[in-house]
This record gives sequence, C-alpha cells and structure tokens, in this order.
Amino acid sequence: MRRQLSWLLVVALMLGLTSMALAQSDTLVIGSGAEAIGLDPRLETDVPSFERINVIMEPLVKFDVDMNLVPCLATDWSFSDDALTLTFQLREGVTWHDGEPFTAADVKYTFDWVLDPANAAPNRGLYADVDKIEVVDDNVVSFHLSKPYSFLLNNIARISVVPKHHGDREDFRQKPIGTGPYSLVSWTRDDRMVLKANDNYWGGKPKMPNLVFRTIPEDSTRLLAFEAGEIDIFQGGVVPHEIQRLEEDARYVVQRAPGTGYNYLGFNTKVGALSNVRVRQAMSHLINREGIVSRILNGIGSPGIGPIPKALPWFNPDVPRYEYSPDKAEALLKEAGYGPGDIKLRLFTNENPTRMRIAEILQFEAQRVGIEVEVFIEEWGAYLSRIQETDDFDIFILGWSGQLDPDRAMIRQFHTDGANNYGKYSNKHLDTLLDHGRTIPPDSQESIDIYGLAQEIVVREVPYGFINYAEEVGLHHTYIKNWTVHPYAAGAWQDVHLMVKEK
Amino acid sequence: MYRYIIRRLIQMVPLLIGISILVFLLVHLSPGDPIRMLLGEDATEEDVERLNAIYGFDLPLHIQYFRWLSNALRGNLGVSIRQGIPVTTLIFERMGATLELAIVSVIIAILLGIPLGIVAAVKRGSVWDYLSMIVALLGVSTPSFWLALMLLSHVALKVEFLPMFGRDGSVFKGLWILVTQFRADELLTGLRYVLLPAFSIGASMMAIITRLTRSSLLEVLGKDYIRTARAKGLGDRIVVLKHALRNALLPVITIVGIQFGAMLGGAVVTETVFAWPGVGRLIVNAISQRDFPIIQGGVLMMAIIFTMVNLAVDLSYALVNPRIRYD
Repeated sequence: MRRQLSWLLVVALMLGLTSMALAQSDTLVIGSGAEAIGLDPRLETDVPSFERINVIMEPLVKFDVDMNLVPCLATDWSFSDDALTLTFQLREGVTWHDGEPFTAADVKYTFDWVLDPANAAPNRGLYADVDKIEVVDDNVVSFHLSKPYSFLLNNIARISVVPKHHGDREDFRQKPIGTGPYSLVSWTRDDRMVLKANDNYWGGKPKMPNLVFRTIPEDSTRLLAFEAGEIDIFQGGVVPHEIQRLEEDARYVVQRAPGTGYNYLGFNTKVGALSNVRVRQAMSHLINREGIVSRILNGIGSPGIGPIPKALPWFNPDVPRYEYSPDKAEALLKEAGYGPGDIKLRLFTNENPTRMRIAEILQFEAQRVGIEVEVFIEEWGAYLSRIQETDDFDIFILGWSGQLDPDRAMIRQFHTDGANNYGKYSNKHLDTLLDHGRTIPPDSQESIDIYGLAQEIVVREVPYGFINYAEEVGLHHTYIKNWTVHPYAAGAWQDVHLMVKEK
Repeated sequence: MYRYIIRRLIQMVPLLIGISILVFLLVHLSPGDPIRMLLGEDATEEDVERLNAIYGFDLPLHIQYFRWLSNALRGNLGVSIRQGIPVTTLIFERMGATLELAIVSVIIAILLGIPLGIVAAVKRGSVWDYLSMIVALLGVSTPSFWLALMLLSHVALKVEFLPMFGRDGSVFKGLWILVTQFRADELLTGLRYVLLPAFSIGASMMAIITRLTRSSLLEVLGKDYIRTARAKGLGDRIVVLKHALRNALLPVITIVGIQFGAMLGGAVVTETVFAWPGVGRLIVNAISQRDFPIIQGGVLMMAIIFTMVNLAVDLSYALVNPRIRYD
C-alpha cells in the first residue's frame, strides 16, 4: 500500500510538472502593480482600474501614443460655432459583448448618470458645464453646454461608455460588459483577472485569444516574474536601477516615453517668508533637479520646468529656468531682506521614499544658504488632510498625474478659486488668462499663446517649485510585437487587440 | 472542561467590545477623510457632505459606533467605501489564502524546528548542536522580506517547478480531492504556490521553535524522573521522545499558538512580496484608503480568531500534559 501510494505521488508530481505556470502561447499575461478598485468607469479614479476597464470598455475618443485625440466609439465630432454644442457621429455596427447594438442612448445614459448629483460620481467635475445630452438619432449624440468649454473632448476621452441595458445592474462594477476587444471571464481580486477575445470586435478580431492581468504589488517580484517568463509585459514600476541591465539584454525590450505627470514643491504663498516671491524663487534655485533625476530617480524622468507635460502641444520651453545655484538663491534672499537664520520653514511629505530623500536634500541645500527647514513625514491619509483641508504648512511635496490638457493642468492648481490651489496662490492676470483659455478652440494658435503666457507667469511667480517630469517605462519580452508604451498609463492596453506573441 | 470553554467564551465578549471601541476611535479620530479620498481632487463641498450623510459620518461618534455594533452583531460588517462590496465578502474571499499560508508555514516550522531542537539538545555540545543553533540564529535574524526576495531570485527563478508569485489551487481542497478522488494534481498545484511564501514566514518561527525545544528539552532531561526512566533501562529513544519531549513541548505550543494567531492577521510583507491574495494586504490597503468599514470589520475578525486560537492553545495543554485539567 505504502509503495503504491508513493508511486502515485511520483506520477502526480510529473503530471504537475507538465502544467507549468509559464505563460501559454495563446495567452497574453500583463503584470500590474496594483489591483483595480472596480470596473465601472463612472466610479473609478485610479490608473490600475482604468488600465483594465480600457480593454473591456471604450470611450468615444481616445488618446493615441502621441497624445492626439483619435476616433474610438465616435468616428467624427465637431463643436458648433458658438462652442456650446459638441456633436459626435458614432461608429456604426458596434455591438456590446452580449450582442446588443451600441447606440447614442448608451452615451446619453453614461454621462447623464455621471452628471446626476444623487450618484455622487467622483468624476462629475469633469463635465460640470454640460447642461444636457441629446440623442439626435441612433448614431448621433450632442452635448449641450451651459458655457463654452473647449476641453470637454479631452475629458470625454477619460471615461468609457457603459451599456444602458446593464449599467444599473447591482454587480456591474464587478462584472461589466463593454464594446472593447476583450470581455471579462473571471476576476479574483488581488490575484488575477481573466479575459477572452471579443471575436466580433469592430477593430478586428484580437490576435491573442486570452488575456490575463496579474496583480503583483512588489516591484522586484514583478521583475523576477517577468524574467522567469510568467508575465509577458508590464508598464510602470520597473525597478529603476535594473533598467540599464534590461536594456542591454537582447531578450527584453525597454520602452520609454515622457509621461503626463510631475512632482513639485508646493509653497504656502500666504504666510511668512514664502509670501515673498523672491524667497520662493530662491527655493526654486535650491532644487538640484539634474542631481535628483540622476541620483534619486536613477535617470527615470527629466528636470521639471513648468506645469504642462512636454508631450502636450501647449508645453512652453521658453519659460525662465531655475538652475541649481545656491549663490543666486542667496542673492535673492538678500534682495528680499532676509539674512542667514531669518527663515524657518516646515516641509511636509508622506512616507514615499523618493519624496523623503528629496526632502532631505532640500533641507541640506537650504541650510547652506541659512534657511532652516524642518522635515515632517506623515502617513498618506493624514498628509492629504493637512494639505487639502488646512493651511498648516509652509512647503509640501506632491505630484500630479494624468495632465492631459492645459486647462486641467492649471486652472485647479493656480486659479484664485481653484479647487486644488492648496498654497492659496492668486494672480488676477493669470485668472483672466485661464478663464479665457477654456473658451477658445484648443487647436488654435491663440490657445497655444494664452497657455504659453500662463505658464510663464506661473514659473516666474513660483507657487510651485517644479522638481521633475515623470517618465513612463514599459518592459516586454522581444517576442511581444505591436505594442508602444503610452504616456498616459491608463491607456497602456487600449490597443491590446493588435498585440501578438511570436514564439 | 465544557464549563471552562463556556466561561472563556463569555470572557471574550467584553474583550472584543473593548477592541472594537479602540479600533473605532483610532480610525475615526486619526486624520484622513475617507470621503475626500474617495471623491478625489475635484470634490465639491456639497458632494463631500452628501456622501458623509449617506455613510452616516455626519452623526455623533457614539451613535455611529452603536449603529456599527448592532449591524456587526447581526453579521453585517458594512460595505467597503471604495469598492462597494460587503466587508464580509472581501474578508472571506481572502480567508482561505491566509489560513492556508499560516497553516502550511506552521507545519513547515514544526517539522523542521522540533527535530532540530531535539538533535541539538540530545547531542548537546556536538557539531550537530552548533549547526542547529546556527540555523536557528540565521532564521531569527533574517528579515522575512529579504529571505522572500532571496528565495525568489535564487530558488524560484532557477527551479521551474516553483512559481514566482500568486496563488493557484488550494492545499485543503487538494487534500480533500486526494482522499476522495485519489487525484493529487490540485494538491500539487496548491503546494507549488504556497511552499516559498510559507517557508519565508516559517523560517523565523522554525528558529524560535528550535531554540525553545532545545532549552526546554535540556531542562526536562535533567529532571529526576528522566534519571529514573533511564535507570529502569529504557532506551534513549523512548526516554527522549516519550518521556521528556511531551513535557518539554508545553512552552513550544504556547509560542506556536501566538505566532499562528499573529499570522492569521495576515503576513503583510510576505503577502506583498509573493503577491499572495490574503487578508493582510486587504487591511493595509484599506488603512491607506481610509476605508473604515474594512478596517473595523477586518480587525474584529482578526481579534475573534486570535482569541479562539488562544483558547485552543490553552486547551491543548491538557492533551499534552495530563496533569493539567480544566474544570
């Protein structure tokens, strides 16, 4: 009996060995650093959720890898001459995963739901100026605005359309259906999400029959799992000091692109020495941006310049630059009437290791010119409460991500009434520019000029000390074809139906 | 015995209420607003107020607590603010993974730790003793996340049989299938995935067990009744394993129980490194997102389990040592 049992175990063991965990050739395995909170585009706000949502569901228009708006569920769109109506021509012959046709009623349903205050959708602010959504016919839908808002299209690109006949289902957030290239099969939270190809996809049958998202929170584990062949590809969270080795390895491809976010020092512009613009300029001269990018960020990212990502056409390269210079900082402080030891500042950051190191460096640099900086490190929730709900700070370190248009990248942060103007910065001229900028066509030269000027004001007056621009890094095996790293991480897998595994 | 168990269960009630009040206060009085974190950067004051009203966060604290308590007594731990899923669902879907990891690592720790401890005690002062103690020292002083990363980069990367991360299959279900259907595939799949994370948690526990077994066994081996047993002419094996070990194991059981209870709270670091879908990650994420219902419900569940494990440990003393009786 005992011998039989041990033989049985050996046989079973060999059976087990044949079914290895290695990614199968008909399955694309994508690694991800965090689990999705949910899969309802009306409710989610985090990148990991949208990475997954965007392969199941689709928006009317989307950003391509060069950050241009391109057709998706809408084939064409136009603003009326008074800029108060935005009309979409919808793609014909598109069906939901259950075979029902996609129509204008679904579009109206999705955005009406988001706009209904009773639903408290976190993204409602994106569409606050939308007055009414009108179904013209099955394939045409119009958004009527209460006042001109030129960047509505950019915001519409952020949310995928939800099917009207499923949207009110209790478990839609866990079991959504969409029009996208893959449909959901199963989801084990914190472990894996399994999807299968939508053979009727309007963009063509997906090349890979199966798609799996695996959640691996630890960066080193994700990289090891990638090298072991258990995952094929991932974007974001590539261990920085390994990038050089990975770039030199012929088995792997590293793709890099400027991202849509940045890190900054936020200054409380209303109290103490920092209410003086020269002191803020001095602080900006104390940020050793090249050093921070090369030493702390291991070369991932680039020195910060202003609030608009380099990938956007509104980026103005001709703003004043604050090169690292303690001498200039000292001169500015003297001009402002401050001597060594006169200024004491409290700098707050959360437990993010990169930010903590930046805080330490800044503390050291400030000390060299006679500014005493005390660093406080707080837990994320407590930290956010302090910044958003009080003005009990002098300096804080934070970042912005997903800056897809100049309006969203500036009006909340720097307008006197901006919802995220934590440092209480105020400049009437800038307010006028930002109010005007959102009413003129985004593709006009005037738009470029207005935001160019706005950037110059912000950089000159330093409500923020810009530290570094983010960079997106994607990593895949050489056998993966037809994929390009996306500057906006939420869109990383929106063209997943084109990807193939050639091995 | 039964009266003792009932008395202990009744004693648990005030303890659990105390814990739940403490957690409730900690969660509500520490800075950080769940509604603001949910609504994000664009939130208007109106939205914040409306959602606060929906979740009842605008009510006085004591009323909020009694509401929560009365729901909890009926088995309703509330709904996650962030995910909109009942807390009990979120906890139970991860409980299997957490239990499996905890049990397998305890088994590994016991299977390695006790024999090492016995060898070290019996061959005291020999090479075996020193070797065991070196292993124990390494086990205690190696941080589990470092061990986990080393296991990944030096073992899992080379041995194809062992996956790098995640969980598949289930050891318990696998055992059941082996017994009922005589198939080992599910069990093997489960074991392949659980082995490395369980070992990286079990290593430090193994070390503690080794040391404790050794010192405790040495003490017992010096006792008079052992000399009597030897004088009767009993063999070494019988004296050590039958007469000495049972008494020496009492402190070991206590430690195993405490450690096991702690592991059920989720070994957050190991769960994170191995991407193991356990309860620890759920609660830690909930803390950073200020998802109050998950934190409160999760901690309450852990407290219940921990006190139950403690009770089980106390009861097991009677099994090992007949002189201990509970009336």
